[in-house]
Amino acid sequence: MTPSAYTPAPGRRFGVGDRVRVKAAHPPGHRRTPAYIRGKVGAIERVCGMFPNPEELAYGFDGEPKHVLYRVRFSQTEVWAQYEGKADDCIELEVYEHWLEPA
Amino acid sequence: MNRNPADIGGEDAGRIDTVDHGMKFWEKQANALRGTLVGRKVVRLDELRRSAEELGSRYYELAYFERTTEALRNLLLEKGLLTEAELQGKMAEVRGRYDA
Repeated sequence: MTPSAYTPAPGRRFGVGDRVRVKAAHPPGHRRTPAYIRGKVGAIERVCGMFPNPEELAYGFDGEPKHVLYRVRFSQTEVWAQYEGKADDCIELEVYEHWLEPA
Repeated sequence: MNRNPADIGGEDAGRIDTVDHGMKFWEKQANALRGTLVGRKVVRLDELRRSAEELGSRYYELAYFERTTEALRNLLLEKGLLTEAELQGKMAEVRGRYDA
């Protein structure tokens, strides 16, 4: 795995390989976690770095403090109940730390 | 569930139109204006996305460039960078110029 070289993301909550569940919440506002992935369990594939929070940028604020962004790998069969592809197919999404909890 | 109109992953998409329809002149102008305002950090892409989502059911009624343009208009009004009166005044002026 390639950890992010450009932002060290010190003090992050998760490491590569950790199993995480995306929060199943549906709060109002500009959210960047697609509905179909909420509540699903995956594993951290890489730490992308720290970035201004887009959910705050969307309302004209500065997005500080920056949030840790992870690339999370999910099994397609975990995400889609009717999935007909190969059993080891996966889908990767980039999800901010505040949307993730340990699984 | 508060699902925004852009959050359609996993829904039945129907037939996908793969024909390149090109861009109308006004669409190129609108795109250039949006790009300039983002480049100069007058508005942010995140704000434009949020503004488009807030179009609600109108989001589905508008074509792509109408949607992004209306989102920009609403955002500029929200930020107080232009007023409805200024916008209407300018539109009347341009309309007059083209005898439309």
